[in-house]
Amino acid sequence: MHAIVPPYLLRRLAATDEPHLAAAAEAARATLAAPRAYHPSPATIDLSVEGDALVVEGSPDPDRVISDAEQREVLPGRRVRREGEVASGDTAVDEAYDGLGAAFDFLWDAFDRASVDGRGGTLAATVHYGERYDNAFWNGERMVFGDGDGEVFQGFTGSITVIAHELGHGVVEDSGGLDYQGQSGALNESIADVFGALTEQHSLGQSAGEASWLIGEGIFTDAVQGSALRSMSAPGTAYDDDVLGRDPQPAHMRDYVETTEDNGGVHINSGIPNKAFHLAATALGGRAWERAGCVWYLTLTGGTLARDADFAAFAAATTATAAAEYGENSEEAEAVRTAWAAVGVTSGVTRD
Amino acid sequence: MSHETETEPAETVVAVTVVRSGGFAGLTRRWGVQATPADAQRWRALVDDCPWDEHGDRCTDQRATGADRFSWTVHATLPDATLRADLTETQATGPWRALIDAVREVNGAAANASS
Repeated sequence: MHAIVPPYLLRRLAATDEPHLAAAAEAARATLAAPRAYHPSPATIDLSVEGDALVVEGSPDPDRVISDAEQREVLPGRRVRREGEVASGDTAVDEAYDGLGAAFDFLWDAFDRASVDGRGGTLAATVHYGERYDNAFWNGERMVFGDGDGEVFQGFTGSITVIAHELGHGVVEDSGGLDYQGQSGALNESIADVFGALTEQHSLGQSAGEASWLIGEGIFTDAVQGSALRSMSAPGTAYDDDVLGRDPQPAHMRDYVETTEDNGGVHINSGIPNKAFHLAATALGGRAWERAGCVWYLTLTGGTLARDADFAAFAAATTATAAAEYGENSEEAEAVRTAWAAVGVTSGVTRD
Repeated sequence: MSHETETEPAETVVAVTVVRSGGFAGLTRRWGVQATPADAQRWRALVDDCPWDEHGDRCTDQRATGADRFSWTVHATLPDATLRADLTETQATGPWRALIDAVREVNGAAANASS
């Protein structure tokens, strides 16, 4: 059991005979009686008094472990910084540590989700992977970051959107997964980008209208003509470089790219659902994670999304989620419907 | 140096192309080599070391665990055969890695720029 409320507080609650705490006491007794293997998770407990009531508010703390691959392609590498330890002085190590902290805070604050697995599990990352390794990836257990080649990429831990993107893949996988091929793979990529963008906006306190909606801003060297790897607000415009060519992301289904490379273009066609999310979020305004983000998250974690879901299935699912959460005729449901129609995934026929 | 040597193009006996796609960036990079008779034996050996039968023609069970991993496609054109292999990043090891690195090394600094 990963408990947010520690056993000593449960025991105190269970023992109370205060009438107004009867339900809480019963719940505490039931929790204590449940068979469990206790694995303590770090948590922050805030105690305050409101009138004659003791208010206990608990929030989990992250459990981060950063390892150093020391330029080899072997995981996990040498452990170099654990939760609560002081900064290492190694930029990549400390950026990964801080970025995972920001992503953890975002998940908890926005969705009441404790870590990737929702149970306060360890956030593991490895930096300095490989020699001049031009990539960051999720290997099913941990986030892995190369240092870049110094010519095109200058490392991958400098952008919080990259770190939260990789963490987002973990959340997708924990929620049932989306096959990493074709449209379901592009949805997997898009949802990871949504986590990346929203984590950055949350950490900066930005509204949907203020945000850059860029993924990977700052990871290119100065030699590359481009601001970022992807733009959720304007897919296809993130870079236009003599060597790399032009950002190939489409923003509409009419420009969907059929390819055998990149698992069927998962990093290319993700531009379409990325744009749909951006449209929904900016139509609703305010903090993007509170309504648009909430709809996407509940759709992902609702248990009904098939692993091979295509764009149309995800559009229908997010529309249904918005209607269920906010009402069939709500502003939120209409924003989601309009967004999917605008990128050509749905026909745009409105409800009666 | 003879006139013939200067004007006649060298015969290509082995050609290898390496394509890397995917990764967080989703960028596709290509490297290639056309071996001449002078170095054909070395390239033929590198090609022959690879288990092409295990990875030919878009094997269905080749998806890597996780996300944002690289995908590799290797083509080899020989006098007597044309070969192709599709590899996940975790499959691109051993003789495959030796062949891939050799092709990228021929392409110089640009090849070395991305691992």
